[in-house]
Amino acid sequence: MSSTPLPPRSPAETDFPIDRAEAEHVTRREFAKFLCLLSGGMAVGSGWVAVKDKIFPPFTFEGERFVCNVEDVVFGATHPFTIQGSRTPFILIRLNDGSFRAYEQKCTHLACAVYYSPDKNKIECPCHHGYFDANDGKVLAGPPPRPLPHLEVSVRDGKVFVREPERKERT
Amino acid sequence: MSNFREAQRQAHPTKTNTLSLGIICVLILVLVMQVWLLTAALNESLDGNNAVKWPAFIASSVLFLAGAALLRYLPDPIRHARRVRKHEEASRRL
Repeated sequence: MSSTPLPPRSPAETDFPIDRAEAEHVTRREFAKFLCLLSGGMAVGSGWVAVKDKIFPPFTFEGERFVCNVEDVVFGATHPFTIQGSRTPFILIRLNDGSFRAYEQKCTHLACAVYYSPDKNKIECPCHHGYFDANDGKVLAGPPPRPLPHLEVSVRDGKVFVREPERKERT
Repeated sequence: MSNFREAQRQAHPTKTNTLSLGIICVLILVLVMQVWLLTAALNESLDGNNAVKWPAFIASSVLFLAGAALLRYLPDPIRHARRVRKHEEASRRL
């Protein structure tokens, strides 16, 4: 039985074959090119990380901001607040020794809302059981990669104020 | 013209296989390093350490360019066979 050779295919027929199996087949060349495309995406992502702060500068504020009165927060309690002009949630914690701490309420792992557990004196993230030290915000256990961002707290005349901590520029 | 390449190809028919797989392995390695660079730079940047992000970007770009340059050496036996066939047809016509 003699078979006649198939006519040569046009580039369009090669790129978009009629046969389904042929259309779904991924060659090693295509796979390698796709890996290279992903690699380009990673490079673009790294570039975005590098320029992000220049395009969208992080929110900062000058001076002190009033949060609440001292008697509004009992020992071991938490007072949520936000800074005007920002939507970032913060929590003011009154520790069992009577001192105050203010932390961002978003876990540094996947931004779940954290809460203060007064009996353990720890800040807990319920999503993946991350634990932070309530005294300084450092990670004690779990997946969070960084300490909780904090604000400096000062108490004057029975009022609680917060201000931006002095940034240690490590450029 | 030298037929050294053709002779080599006939002597080692699976050479293109090895080359393809080698290039794919290198590209995967490049990608893993870039993922590591990106997560490290993002983590440090969010922690206020800006010293890492630019070197990470430069390293990631260099890795990408190296991977893209590697694609040039990716074997294309179908295109090669087509080119050989065309060459044979042209020489037959002469």
